[in-house]
Amino acid sequence: MSLESLKSEAEKIVAKYDQKRAAVLPLLHLAQDKIGAVTPEVEAWVAQWTEVPVVHVKEVVTFYSMYHTKPLGKHHIRFCTTTSCCLRGSENLLSHLKNKLGVEKGQTTKDGKFSVEEVECLCACELAPMMQVGDKYYGNLDEKKIDQILDGLK
Amino acid sequence: MAEPILSRNFNIPDAWKISVAESRGAYETAKKVISSMKPEDVTNAVLAANLRGLGGAGFPTGKKWQFIPKETTKPVYLVVNADEGEPGTCKDRYILERDPHQMIEGIILGAFAIGSHKSYVYIRGEYVEPYRNLQSAVDEAYAKGYLGKKIFGTNFDLDLVVHRGAGAYICGEETALLESLEGKRGLPRLKPPFPAIVGLFGCPTIINNVETLACVPHILKNGAEWFAKLGSPGNGGTHLFSLSGHVKKPGVYELPMGTPLREIIYQHGGGILGDKKLKAVIPGGISAKILTANEIDVKMDYDGLKAAGTMLGSAGIMVMDETTCMVKMLLVACKFFAHESCGQCSPCREGTGWAYKIVQRIYEGVGSVRDLDTLLKIAGGMEGRTICVFADAAAWPIQSYIGKFREEFERYIKNYRNQQNLKETVPDGLYQIHPRNQDRYGFGEYS
Repeated sequence: MSLESLKSEAEKIVAKYDQKRAAVLPLLHLAQDKIGAVTPEVEAWVAQWTEVPVVHVKEVVTFYSMYHTKPLGKHHIRFCTTTSCCLRGSENLLSHLKNKLGVEKGQTTKDGKFSVEEVECLCACELAPMMQVGDKYYGNLDEKKIDQILDGLK
Repeated sequence: MAEPILSRNFNIPDAWKISVAESRGAYETAKKVISSMKPEDVTNAVLAANLRGLGGAGFPTGKKWQFIPKETTKPVYLVVNADEGEPGTCKDRYILERDPHQMIEGIILGAFAIGSHKSYVYIRGEYVEPYRNLQSAVDEAYAKGYLGKKIFGTNFDLDLVVHRGAGAYICGEETALLESLEGKRGLPRLKPPFPAIVGLFGCPTIINNVETLACVPHILKNGAEWFAKLGSPGNGGTHLFSLSGHVKKPGVYELPMGTPLREIIYQHGGGILGDKKLKAVIPGGISAKILTANEIDVKMDYDGLKAAGTMLGSAGIMVMDETTCMVKMLLVACKFFAHESCGQCSPCREGTGWAYKIVQRIYEGVGSVRDLDTLLKIAGGMEGRTICVFADAAAWPIQSYIGKFREEFERYIKNYRNQQNLKETVPDGLYQIHPRNQDRYGFGEYS
């Protein structure tokens, strides 16, 4: 996937906003989804569309936790350890997850299938302990359920 | 409470689709109001209903709307704060994912009242599935002529853009949200000027929470008096209470404003998990001061909790049973605030970081009783000394956990781990930095 091919989508996004600069976040989302990471080329591309200096885009990329400059695993796991999840035992479950996959948080498995990130509250506290795999939320976790979810992913 | 109002469609399959939503009465009120009422009548109804901002601040919504300058030549914006992020809260997700048309109808009415023709919904980045349902709902509303030019065949135009955040708790603060919406880092702005005068792109802007706007169609349908009566004096309507932690039935419960906390925990939540004893409750998201088991006979509304020395906030109730270690809970809270501080103001950037390091060293068994006073001093140095209230919110857990459980903290420090904690294995996960590998101030992963 090349940035060139995102032209029509980018045009549509920029047109939605009253100022071009406001499209920085959605353009980063778009490019990251398609390219796999926010590379220096992506930053330059977003800067061009939104008519801001590249350093401004870089500033945004480093501020928000969802942008990443290196590719993640095929299935990115966001594991919540904030209050409600902690009360329901998220610490032990995170250890289980890391042991199962053989990675530390912030790392990707050797086969590139999974990456693990410890995150702050994802606001699904009624499902605690919970995690997000890719786009989807999974709640009421225990070790068995984590195994089932991960084993079920291709 | 007789019948659910805000949550009435939560368990209806596909209620996020316009065909289902319309069969349940969506948009009927907006159609009627826009073709027959004056904007100021809508504002007056919301004012009379005692609707207060349900994002956490509790400011009267109608009053906020009146702050828009009457004779402005600039465009006016209505921005919806769907950046739900307060730990313990999960209510807006239900509206966004299961019944977005209810909110869109509220946006139409709110925009009509304040004379706005463009609205932005700022939804948190991690809410991918709610975002998809919301975006599809917006597209369907456009296709039906309920958004866009001359909506419902009247002369009123309204465009609505859904904007995704990218993972930053601070963007739930309304001026940080505006900065983020303008494509910048989410750094809160100095006030005044308030957003109603200088907001998005320098124009008058009203920022309302998802649930607040979802209340508006019901107010106009059933009348302000009806809505005001649902709640307690000065706190109109019902509220979606998020209940989590050590309860048998965690979930989102729609109950009248002013419902007693004890009733929510023991009746609706089914009591404490494993029939253990209650130790403490956080009544309004992680920022709210903690209540001990003896303090739960309070009414859950803005005034009731203020009188109890805490706040309703976003009504995220987190329940802790007798086995909960307060040192660990403070560690988790401090980790959250240290991670989420935007770094703009020194007291907050430094204060949250140092508080986390100090609580971490207490947790790891190398703290001293003097550290508790240092923590309180740091908290005092943060409170009220920064651009936004994030630093205050970070100070309150420190002050209230140590204030109300000081004896436990001291015992923990003296015995390293208290009785309950001895039974727990300390996992080699989160807090694995061993004290001997750390010099006194070089605590680990948060740097």
